[in-house]
Amino acid sequence: MFQRDIFIEEITKSLKKDNSIYFLSADFGAKALDGLREKFPKNFIHCGISEQAMLDIATGLAIEKNKVFVYAMAPFLSLRAIEQIKCGPGLMKLPISIISVGIGLGYADAGPTHYANEDYACIRSILGNSIYTPSDNFTTKLIAQDLLKKPKFAYIRLDRDITPNLKPKVSNKDFYNGYKIFGNIANDKIIVISHGKIFHDCYSLKKNLKDNVVFINLFRSKPFPKSLSKKLKNVRKILVVDEQSPGGNLGSCVFENLSENKIFPKIIIKSIDNIYVFENGGRRYLLDKYGLSKKNILNSINSF
Amino acid sequence: MKINDLDNLSKKYRKQLFEKFLLTKQGHPGSIFSMMEIVVTLYYGGYVRFNKKKKIFKDKVLISKGHATATLYPILRDFGLIKQKDWNNWGSKNSLLKIFGNISIPGIDITSGSLGHCIGAGAGMALHYKRSKIDKKVYVIISEGELYEGSTWEALLFAKHHELSNLIIFIDVNSLIILGSTDECLKLDPIQKKVEGLGIECFSIDGHNISEITNSLDDIGSQKKLCCIIANTIKGKGSTIMEHKKNWHYWNPMSKEEIKKTREELKE
Repeated sequence: MFQRDIFIEEITKSLKKDNSIYFLSADFGAKALDGLREKFPKNFIHCGISEQAMLDIATGLAIEKNKVFVYAMAPFLSLRAIEQIKCGPGLMKLPISIISVGIGLGYADAGPTHYANEDYACIRSILGNSIYTPSDNFTTKLIAQDLLKKPKFAYIRLDRDITPNLKPKVSNKDFYNGYKIFGNIANDKIIVISHGKIFHDCYSLKKNLKDNVVFINLFRSKPFPKSLSKKLKNVRKILVVDEQSPGGNLGSCVFENLSENKIFPKIIIKSIDNIYVFENGGRRYLLDKYGLSKKNILNSINSF
Repeated sequence: MKINDLDNLSKKYRKQLFEKFLLTKQGHPGSIFSMMEIVVTLYYGGYVRFNKKKKIFKDKVLISKGHATATLYPILRDFGLIKQKDWNNWGSKNSLLKIFGNISIPGIDITSGSLGHCIGAGAGMALHYKRSKIDKKVYVIISEGELYEGSTWEALLFAKHHELSNLIIFIDVNSLIILGSTDECLKLDPIQKKVEGLGIECFSIDGHNISEITNSLDDIGSQKKLCCIIANTIKGKGSTIMEHKKNWHYWNPMSKEEIKKTREELKE
């Protein structure tokens, strides 16, 4: 199942007992959305291909104390409507959940108009929001359930592809913390931090490595988990991997949050190269060619 | 209230706001004065319904031209929502009242300032009321300058599609933007034809004529479709120093003679 279907299914379940939920789409679909529209037509709003108006409409609905979910393709929802995101849920602290699908090169081979390589940096700069980048369906489900229970201004970055479930799965405590650690953190170990689909590429390298590497799935990077800063207090080597452009990605987030706590390990950031990718070949091919091959990530780990 | 009373109230509020501009040396008098009769009519003409007991308005007013939200401050003060001490304190460092309105100010329904947001937000509210069968109306006042924003047209399309008869849009057409006349800068006319092109019924009125404002609102009241009032106004209305002057979008320093003259002109 796709992450988006998991998320929408949870909303559909809640709609059975909660009529205050509105789901807005800018002409973006999903199999699960067909069901939601059919069962709850009054709670679904098609906004046309108008991401900016969609956010303003969502703002009006949220001012009226509704639980509002907006849904569109990541590059358009994040960049095109960023000022509406700031002025609506940002300035007025409104509980609007922004579900953004197709992060990174997810829409390969559509080209750079459809790649969301900057959405993380852009939306992280808006104040007061939470940012989620799940790596699997189970975490996606927990995020949806939590936002339905406790609505807030959130940006949820879903992958376009089906993502395998993490093992062991995210526990309730992990979810509360905002991250899951695979391994035991120690001062002399190398810490690999990532989120989203690319986390699986990182974690798949475990078999090629000794026990001195710990992987952290940081599925809620904003607000940055305080407990994680504490755990990383004395580590010296961190690799951050993000399917984003070099500027303002998860690496910046980790660096800024640790430095705020006077923690200064050596941090290496692996991201997509500093280039707009026009080439075809599929996501795997493009990641391999433009900075995020598994080999490249492995070399970075070994370079510490 | 009678039409004469609404006229007098408009004059009174212009005068009071002028004194605030003098004191704070900031604000947007041109835009505020151009929409004064519209908001006075909405609040005192019985269109925006007030619950005296709860001290809340039933209907919403969204000032999309956020730089002119201060037009509402003296009205909200007189309805008892904004405290007299906050009105008196306007301009000091810890003042509750700001040039641009925000929802921390009692009676202000939306935080605005950036242009082109409020038809969309108003449409969201109005659609919720319609689907939930809630008897509320949303009045949105935009400047004609907001017709340059794509989001305004996106929202108009949306509001028309849903035929939001509980959303009443005023377009304050004072023909001036910061750099000059809209005709010279980037032509907007014919505004009415363009809006009507979306299938929206338009009423073109003199935005300073209380009778025309009330007549259009009464006509709209019986309609079951989205309507828009194109209010032709004068930027800086009431002060010959400011009227039709693009530079009076913002506050400008005034000589003693100019202050005296303006005070005379704004007398009730």
